[in-house]
Amino acid sequence: MNFVPFGIRSYWVKMATHSSKALFCVGRTSFSYIGLSKSTSRVSYATALSVNNSHRNKGPSDKNGRFPRRPKREPGEPRTEKMAPDQDWTSVYPAATPFRPNSVPLPVRMGFPVKGGVPPQKKGNLELIKIPNFLHLTPAAIRKHCEALKPFCTEWPSALDTDPKCDERFPVKIESREFVSAGPSIRNPAARVVQLSIKLSSLNLDDHARKKMLKLVGERYCRDTDVLTIRADSCPLRQQNYDYAMYLLTVLYHESWKIEAWEAEKTVADMEEYMWEDSPSQRNIVELLMRMKVSEGDGQEVREQLLERRDVQEYKDSVTRLKNEGESESSMLQYKEAVKKVLNV
Amino acid sequence: MAALMAVRRQFLACFRLTRDISQVRCLGTSFVQGKCSINRSLLSQTHFHTSALVSTPSAITVTEEPDTLFQKVVILVKGHDKAVLDSYEFFASLAAKELGINVSKVSEPRKDIERMTLLKSVHIFKKHRVQYEMRTHYRRIELSHITGCTAQVYLEYIQRNLPEGVAMEVTKTSMEKVPDHILEPMWKPKPADEPNQ
Repeated sequence: MNFVPFGIRSYWVKMATHSSKALFCVGRTSFSYIGLSKSTSRVSYATALSVNNSHRNKGPSDKNGRFPRRPKREPGEPRTEKMAPDQDWTSVYPAATPFRPNSVPLPVRMGFPVKGGVPPQKKGNLELIKIPNFLHLTPAAIRKHCEALKPFCTEWPSALDTDPKCDERFPVKIESREFVSAGPSIRNPAARVVQLSIKLSSLNLDDHARKKMLKLVGERYCRDTDVLTIRADSCPLRQQNYDYAMYLLTVLYHESWKIEAWEAEKTVADMEEYMWEDSPSQRNIVELLMRMKVSEGDGQEVREQLLERRDVQEYKDSVTRLKNEGESESSMLQYKEAVKKVLNV
Repeated sequence: MAALMAVRRQFLACFRLTRDISQVRCLGTSFVQGKCSINRSLLSQTHFHTSALVSTPSAITVTEEPDTLFQKVVILVKGHDKAVLDSYEFFASLAAKELGINVSKVSEPRKDIERMTLLKSVHIFKKHRVQYEMRTHYRRIELSHITGCTAQVYLEYIQRNLPEGVAMEVTKTSMEKVPDHILEPMWKPKPADEPNQ
C-alpha cells in the first residue's frame, strides 16, 4: 500500500517553458506510484517568471512503496514547434537572457565532438548557456532600438566636415578616457587623466612670446606637429584636472607675453636658433673680405657694403641653415657653393 | 518642420507616458516592446549630463547650452573570446550606422597572451610544472565627428548591451574653442615688473 507518512508536505512547483504556471501540490493523500528513476526538476533562468522550488520526495529509493513519487508530468511540446517562420523574434528574446533550447528554433550544436561523432545537441548543452549570446540583438531588434533612440541624438554641424576646418575653429583638443568593466570596483583611476592639446599657431603669440612659451613648456611641445600637450593627472576628479589644464594654459600664455627685466641678459647660449648677425662667422667673413680688398681701406660703410653683397648673403643663408637644421647632403652642397662664390674660387 | 518635430515629440511623449504606466506584458507589437525596454532603461537613470536629455520622462527639451563636439571617439573592447567580439562589433557598427554615426575605422589589434608556469604539485616535484595562459583579444572601433548628445546615447546603448566577460575603454577627444581669456594678452609687453593677475 502506498501512503505518505504523516507530517510530510511536499510542495512541488513546476514550471513549463514559457508560461508561468505554478502548481502547488500539498501531499497528504496517497498517490499511485509511477516508477521513475529520478524526478527531473525543470530549471530555467528566464527572468520575470516563476520560482522553481522543487523538493524531492523524501526517500532516495523508489523501490519500497513507503515513499511514493508524484506522477511525473510529461514535458510539453517545445515552443519551437509552434513558432512560425515569420514570427517577431524581438518579442521572443527582448532582453539579454541565457540560451533556452526550447525557445531557439535553430539546430545548433556546440561542444567537443565525441570520437567519430558530432558536437552535442542543444538540449541540455551547458556550453551554449555559458557563452554570451546575441539573440536579443538581431538586426531587426537593433533597428527598433535605434528608432527609439533617434530623438535623443543631435546632428553634427555640416560646416565642420573636414579636420582642418575643425582645427581652425576649435583648436583646443581635450582627451579623456572612460572604462567599463566588471570587477570588485567600477572605478578606474586612469579615468581622471585629462590631456589638452593645442597648436601654438592658433594662439595669439608674437615672436618673443612664442620663444618664451617654448622655454616654459620644455618637453611638452612637439616641433614637427607644432602641438603643445598638457597632461593633467594630479587631481582626483576629471573635472578638476580639466580646470587645472585650462588654468595652466592661461598662465603660460600670459606669462609668455610678460617681459621681465632679467630677460635682457639673454646670452648667445640661451638662443633657440642660430643668428648670423654678430656671430663669429660674420666677423670672420668680413675680415677675410677686407683683407682681400686691401685697397678700399677700413671703414664702417665698407663693411656694410660687403654685407649687402649677394654672395655674402648666400653664405649667411648656408651657414644659418647648417647650424639650425644640422648637416645633410643638400646643406653641405649649398655651403660649398656659397664659399666658392664668396672666395671667387 | 518645427511643427512636425513638436507633434512628433508630443506623440512620443504620450507614448512614453502610457508605456510607463502600464504593466502589460509585452505581447503585442514589437515596436512597442522595443521602445518600452529601451525607454525604461534610459529613463530609469535619474540624471543626464547634456542638454538635450531631460530627467522627467514626459518630453524632450532642448536647452541653449552648446553641445560638446567630439572629433574622435575610440572604443576599445577587450575579451577572452574572439567570436563574442565579432558579434559585438557587428552590433556596434550596425547601431552606429542606424543612428547616423560615422564609423571611420574598425580594426583588430593583436591579441595579448599572458602565460604563467606554475608548479604542478603542492609540495616538491620541481621538475613538473603546469602552464596556463590568458588570451585577451581586442577590437577597436573609431567614430569621428560625433556630438555630445549622440555620443552619450550611443555609448550608453553600447555599454548596456556589453556581453559578460567583455571590458570596454572609451577614449574621447573633444574639441573646444580657444577660451576668451587667452585671445588677447592681459597687458602690453613692457619691460617692468607687472603684478600678477
